[in-house]
Amino acid sequence: MLTLLRVAVARLRAYLRPGDQSRDFEDELEAHLAMAEEDKIRQGLPPAEARRMARVELGGVSQLVEAGREARGLPWLDSFWLDVKLSLRMLRKSWGLTLVGGLAMTIAIVIGATVFHFLNLAFGGTLPLDEGDRVVALQIWDTKEHRRHNTSMEDLERWRASLRSVETIGAFRTVERNLVLGEGSVPLAAVGGPVEPVPVAEMTASGFQLARVPALLGRSLEAADERVGAAPVVVIGHDVWQSRLSGDPAVVGKTIRLGETIHTVVGVMPEGFAFPINHRFWTPLRADPSTPLLTTEKALVFARLAPGVTLQGAQVELTAVGLPPIAGALEAETQLVAQVEPYIVALTSDGDRGQVVWLIRLMRLMVILLLIPPCANIAILVYARTVTRQEELAARYALGASRGRLVSQLFVEMLVLAIGSAAVALGVLQLALNWAESGLSEAADGGAPFWMDFSLTLKTVLFAGGLAVFAAMAASLVPAIKATGRQMQIGLHALGSRTGKQLGATWTTLVVFQVAVSLAALPLAVEIGWGTIRKGVLGPGFAAEKYLTARLAMDFEGKDGAAEAENRRRFASLQAELVRQLEAEPGFLGTTFADLPGDEPWDTIEIEGVTTERVGIFSPASLLRINRVDDAFFDVFEIPLLSGRHFEAGDFQLKAGDAGRAVVVVNRTLVQQLLGDRNPLGRRVRYAAAEHDPAAAGRATSPWYEIVGVVEDVPAHADRGTMYQPMARGLVHPAHLAMRLGPKPSTMVDRLRLIASRLDPTLRLDEISALDEVYREQAVGNNVGASSLAAVVLSVLLLSAAGLYALTSFTVNQRRREIGIRSALGATSGRLLASIFKRTLGQFAVGALGGMLVAALIDVYLPAEVVGGWSIPGIIPAATALMVLVGILAATGPARRGLRVDPNTELREG
Amino acid sequence: MTEARSPILQGTLDLMTLKTLEQLGPMHGYGIARRIEQIGEDALVVNQGTIYLCLVRLVQKKWVTAEWGTSENGRRAKFYTLTKAGRQQLKAEVENWDRISGIIARVLQPATGS
Repeated sequence: MLTLLRVAVARLRAYLRPGDQSRDFEDELEAHLAMAEEDKIRQGLPPAEARRMARVELGGVSQLVEAGREARGLPWLDSFWLDVKLSLRMLRKSWGLTLVGGLAMTIAIVIGATVFHFLNLAFGGTLPLDEGDRVVALQIWDTKEHRRHNTSMEDLERWRASLRSVETIGAFRTVERNLVLGEGSVPLAAVGGPVEPVPVAEMTASGFQLARVPALLGRSLEAADERVGAAPVVVIGHDVWQSRLSGDPAVVGKTIRLGETIHTVVGVMPEGFAFPINHRFWTPLRADPSTPLLTTEKALVFARLAPGVTLQGAQVELTAVGLPPIAGALEAETQLVAQVEPYIVALTSDGDRGQVVWLIRLMRLMVILLLIPPCANIAILVYARTVTRQEELAARYALGASRGRLVSQLFVEMLVLAIGSAAVALGVLQLALNWAESGLSEAADGGAPFWMDFSLTLKTVLFAGGLAVFAAMAASLVPAIKATGRQMQIGLHALGSRTGKQLGATWTTLVVFQVAVSLAALPLAVEIGWGTIRKGVLGPGFAAEKYLTARLAMDFEGKDGAAEAENRRRFASLQAELVRQLEAEPGFLGTTFADLPGDEPWDTIEIEGVTTERVGIFSPASLLRINRVDDAFFDVFEIPLLSGRHFEAGDFQLKAGDAGRAVVVVNRTLVQQLLGDRNPLGRRVRYAAAEHDPAAAGRATSPWYEIVGVVEDVPAHADRGTMYQPMARGLVHPAHLAMRLGPKPSTMVDRLRLIASRLDPTLRLDEISALDEVYREQAVGNNVGASSLAAVVLSVLLLSAAGLYALTSFTVNQRRREIGIRSALGATSGRLLASIFKRTLGQFAVGALGGMLVAALIDVYLPAEVVGGWSIPGIIPAATALMVLVGILAATGPARRGLRVDPNTELREG
Repeated sequence: MTEARSPILQGTLDLMTLKTLEQLGPMHGYGIARRIEQIGEDALVVNQGTIYLCLVRLVQKKWVTAEWGTSENGRRAKFYTLTKAGRQQLKAEVENWDRISGIIARVLQPATGS
C-alpha cells in the first residue's frame, strides 16, 4: 500500500514537472551510450562500429525516452486530456447533437438529483447537535395500523425508570398558542397590540440536556419547572428575541402571554437552536400524572443512546423490558411493539423504517432508470454520427489506435457532454432549493426542521456525477462498440470509395418507436400542462381579491370524551359569536365556514337508479369534489342558484337518526356529467364507500341524500362535479373560513386576530391570507410543474426530430450515387425527393400512425381529468400535425443536400 | 554448438538489479547491465534499455535512490544505491524466488519411487 502511494506521488510529481525528468533520462541514456562505446573501442572495434553496437544493445533511444516518460508520469491522463480537447471540438462541430443530447441529459439529471437530494433532506442526515447521531426516538408502533401509538406520561416515567441503554429520556409535544407580546400584565380584553398564533414546544427540561446547548441568556428549562403548580415559564429563541423583543438585554424576567397563560421569560437560546423540530418557544411539559396522552402527531419521546450502546442494543433492551402494561394488554389485538428509531427517521416517516429504506432505494433506482430513455435516444444520434466518422475511425485504427482507445474516446466525448449537463442540472437544483427554503421559511408552522440543510451537499454532487458517468456510458458504449466492431473493416474499404453506410434495422426501429412514443404521449402531456396552468391563466373566475381566508382553531389537546363534546359545543358557539362580531365590523360583508372552491377533497358517489357511464376505465362519479358548507357559503361566494333551493336552517340540525331527510346541493357540471338531461331534483345520492361519510359511522352503507338544489359552477373549477353538504358549525376542528370584505382585505388581519383572541384567548386564527394570494401561490407551484413537463415534452420532441434527421441523412448519404444517376437522367426535384424519401416517409408514417392509435387509446382509457388535466378537443390531430411538421423540418436539411448532389462528381467517384 | 540465449524471465529484472546493487554497492545503469550480462555468461538476452525503465520503477518505489556522480572512467553518470526498504524487498523477493524455484524443481524432477 505504502509502495503504491510512493509510486503515485512520484508519478504525479513527474507529471507536474515533465521537462526536468525527461532531460535527466535522456542525459542518462547518452552517458550509457558513451560508456558502452568506449568499452567496445577498448575491445578493438572501430569507433563507428562501436557506436552502432552500443546503440543496438541499448535499443531505440526515442522509444526508450517515450517509454520512460510513460513509466514516470501519468500517460492515461495525457490521453484523457487529449480526448477531452477532441471531444470539445467534436461537440462544437455537432452542435445539434450537443444541444439536443445536453438538454435531454440535463432534464433527466435534474429530476434524478432533485429526487435524491430531497429524499436525503427528508430522511437522511444527522442532527446538527453534539453526537447528534446518537439521539433517538422511543415509540410504540402499531404494526397493524402502521402508525405511532399514543404514548402516555406514565409510559415516559416507566421508560425513565427501567431503561439503561438510553439516557436523558424526555418528550415534547407541539401546541399552538396565541402570542401576545408586552401585554403580559394587561387584562386580555384591553389588549390592543398584535396577536399571533405560534407553535410552542411543551418539552421536558431534559430536552435541553439532550441537545447539550446552554442558554445564551438566563437559563433553559429545569426539572422543577415541570412540577404541577410551578410558575409558568418560557424559554424563547434567538430570532424571536431579536425580531419581536428588539433584542432587549433585560428580557429575562419579563412576561409574555401564550394563550390563556402569562409566562415569565427565563432564558434565550442561541441563534439557530430550534430543537426538537423548528421551535422558538419552549414551555415545560407538566409532570402531572393526569396529563393526557402524547398524541401521535407533533409529539415524541426522545433520548440519547448511552455510551457504547448501539441502536440495536437499545432495541434489544426495549423489547426485553417489554411494553408498559397498558399497551401490553392491547398488544395481542393491535400488535404493538416498542421501537427505538433514529430521531429524524421517527419524525419524518410514517411507515416502518425498513419500508422507508426500501422506498428510498426503489426511488433511487427509478431515477437512475429514468436516464435510460433519453440516453438510448442520444445513443442513436451518437451512432448515426459515428457511422459518418467511420472513415476517420478506420484510418486511426489502421494507424495503430486500439479499439479500446477509440471506444474510450467516444466515451469521453459523451462524458464531457454529461458532466456539462450535470453542472447545469446542479445549478437548476440549487435554484429549486433556494425556492423551497424561502417557501418553507415563510410557512406558518415555523419553517423547515432545524436539521435540514438546503445547500447542495457533496453527496448530491457525487450522485449527479455518478448519473453523468452512467449517462455517458449508456449513450456511448453500445454505439462505440458497434461502430468500432465489424464495420471497421468496411470503413477501411470505404476509404477508397464514397459509399455510405446504412443506419441499420435496429436503429431505424428505435427512431420509429421514438416517433410513436412521442406522439402517443404528446396530447396527454399538453392536456395535463393546460389543466395545471389553466386556473392560473384564467384566474379563479370570481373576485377572489375581495376574500380573506383563514384557519380557526382552539386548544383542544387531550381532553377526554366528555370534555371533547363540551369543547366542540364551545367551539361552535365561539364560531357563531365570531361571525356575529365580524359582521358588525365595518367592511365585513359575509363569513362562511367551508373548504375553498377548488380545494375540496374528492370522493365517489352513486345516484339511486342511475348507472354512471364510464369514461374509459374511470367514472366521473369518482372524481367529485365534496364540500361541507354552512348556510352562508353560496351567498358569500355569490354562487347563483339554478334550480331547487339552497340549504335551510332545518338541514343543519339533523341528527344521526334523521337519515332520509338529509339533503345535498350539486353543481351544474355534476348534473351534466352524471345525469345528462334528467331532472336532478328529488333524486337520491350517497357515498360509494360508507367509511368516507362521517354520517355513516358504523354502518355498512352511507345514508341516502336528496338533491334539493342545483347551483352554478365556480368558473375556474368547472372541470369536476361538486356536491355540497350542509355542515353545522363546531363539527370540524380546525375550521376553515372565508370572509368577503371590502377593499384591501389584508389590512383587516390584525383586527381579525384581536377579535378572535378577545372572544377566547385560546381561539387562534392562522394561515390568514387574501384568497387571490392563495390561488396565486397555488399557480406558482402549478407553473413550475407545467414548465417541467413542457421541458420534458420539448426534449422528447427534439430527440424525435434529431432521430428523424439522422435517419434521413443516412438515406441521402446511402443513395448519393443513385441520386446522381437519376439526376443525370433528368429526374425532376419532386420525383427525386419522392424516390429518396419514399421508404423513410413510410417508416415515419408507421411511427406516427402507431402513436396516434396509442394516443387515442390513452384518451379513452385515461381521460385527462383523471390525472389533473383538461380535455382539449382535437388535440390528437393537432399533435399529429405538429409531429408531421417536426418530421418535415428534420428532413428538410438532408433533403436539400440530396438535391444538391452533383451527378458528375458522383458518377466519376463511383 | 553454442547454448541458446534465453530471454530474462518476466518480473525477474527488478530482482536481479536489486541483487547487483547489493553486491556491487552504488552503480550506474550501464554497470548494472554489464554485470547482469557477465553473471549470465552471455546466456541471457538483456535489452539494456529496459534496465533504465526498471530503475525508474525502483526509484519510484523508493527501493533505490539515484544521484549523478563520476564514473571510474571520469564520465558523468547516474549512480543508483540500494535503500533500506530496497534491501528488505530484496530479502523478501529472494525468499520468494527460492520457494518458487524449489517448487518448480520438485515438479520437474522425475519421481523417485521407493
